[in-house]
Amino acid sequence: MITNNKGATGPAVAFRDVVKVYHPDIKALDHVTFDIQPGETVALLGPNGAGKSTAIDTMLGLRAPTSGEVRILGGPAAAAVAAGQIGGMLQTGGLPEGAKVSELIGLFRQLYRDRRSTAELLTLAGVADLADRRVEQLSGGQTQRMRFALALAGNPELLFLDEPTAALDVEARRHFWRSVETIARQGATVLFATHYLEEADANASRIIVVNHGRVIADGTPAQIKAFTATRTLRFSTPAPDPSELLKLPGVTDVVVNGDAVTVRTGDADDTLPALYALGRPITAMEVGGGGLEEALIALTSADNGPVMERVS
Amino acid sequence: MAAFLRFEIVRSLRNVRFVVFIAGFPVLLYLIYAKQTGTSQGLTVAAILLVSMAVWSGMGSAMFATGPQLAKERQNGWMRQLRVSPISAPRWFAAKLAQGLLLIIPGFVLLILLGFGYGHVHLAAGRVAALAAVLVLGVIPFCVLGLVIGLVFDGQTAQVAQMLTMLVLAFLGGIFIPFSNLPHVMQEIGKMLPSYHLVQLGWNAVAGRPLGVAHMLALGAWAVALGLVALWRWRQESTTA
Repeated sequence: MITNNKGATGPAVAFRDVVKVYHPDIKALDHVTFDIQPGETVALLGPNGAGKSTAIDTMLGLRAPTSGEVRILGGPAAAAVAAGQIGGMLQTGGLPEGAKVSELIGLFRQLYRDRRSTAELLTLAGVADLADRRVEQLSGGQTQRMRFALALAGNPELLFLDEPTAALDVEARRHFWRSVETIARQGATVLFATHYLEEADANASRIIVVNHGRVIADGTPAQIKAFTATRTLRFSTPAPDPSELLKLPGVTDVVVNGDAVTVRTGDADDTLPALYALGRPITAMEVGGGGLEEALIALTSADNGPVMERVS
Repeated sequence: MAAFLRFEIVRSLRNVRFVVFIAGFPVLLYLIYAKQTGTSQGLTVAAILLVSMAVWSGMGSAMFATGPQLAKERQNGWMRQLRVSPISAPRWFAAKLAQGLLLIIPGFVLLILLGFGYGHVHLAAGRVAALAAVLVLGVIPFCVLGLVIGLVFDGQTAQVAQMLTMLVLAFLGGIFIPFSNLPHVMQEIGKMLPSYHLVQLGWNAVAGRPLGVAHMLALGAWAVALGLVALWRWRQESTTA
């Protein structure tokens, strides 16, 4: 058992040098290492195919790692599952036909020793108005909410959510994250996968960025966002002067090609007014970047920053 | 496990296709054919058909719980959700087995009532009980056969596979047509099938004859052999998944 900085209990999740190979050429997880401490709410952020689902499936005991060590609540994943200590909301998953929403929730509660009340589950998952509905009549979003209810049925110490809001509309999303916050406040450790930086930023206290099966960054949302704030400005101006442009606030990089200019800035909100204040004629302005993909490029090409932990 | 069993039974009984298959279909066939006159080996046509239809219904009930239902739920991800819940694989299978056995009841009760009321079959309570016991124990290999189908095929295909398997078992096993009417080669094949042994046990029970240890052993052997295939597939799936 590994002791954390409180010296009391070990990490909720210990993921050590985990490799998962599906095919000799494809490493879904390539020496991934991280710990999650009890009570943390952590986002696993990365594009599709980054290895997020493989990591979560491994933590849930659905897949065995090719090598490396995975310990959940101090033991093997299967033991935590059998003891009903963890809840898992998988990325996709149908429900058993012929059952009513209330029956299915009732069944799942009874599989666990420690359980939430049906009323609480219906409210947390936002499915109270669907209680008498048959599961095959539910929409994609409603099914996803149901799967959330099932993941919470056993009052889990550790909750895994794999892209939990993919099928939800704006209102349902807001409700969902409010519920996650409630559960986290009650002391649960939460790990969720997403490919939206905004979602990770708004709902996690820590973000682990993964791409191509590797952890490329691990830090607070503010630290991660600093990398993603980079914007690319493309415009035309007659006889551009690179040294003048480089002095603009936030600008890190200027490329000039005839009249065409590409400027990279860490703070577009400061750069743009200053650029226009130069009084030059500026045409065909395009502001790009800021998405996760851009951030991943920035992260992958950046030198090791103070907060960035590179694993290779 | 009791909660899981109740849940599975309730939702299965809501499946109209399944209920028609295990109760409606045998009842209809019984109504059509039970009035034929004649006896064979001391049993009236109505009594013979009562056993045949009860076996058909029992086979269907047993195979549905583990076959098409499992295939569909493996495919749509429900089985994965169950695997992250505390219910263990042996308890899950025990519940599925119990589901298959308990769902024999509606078809069996209907057929017994029809047999007595419509087919004028007169059976002592002891023989009805013997038939019930034969069915409950005898469909176990069919539960396991369903498990093999459910683990090998996908949702839609499993339904077709179950139908075809049942038809082959019913025809070659002598459930739908008298065994002696089958060509010799088919009789030889039929004698190896679990359906043949189960329906023979049923007829023996109803006729008050010794049940036949060979039939029981054959069913036991089928259960073990199919169980090994199912276990192999189950392991394969849980480790490569």
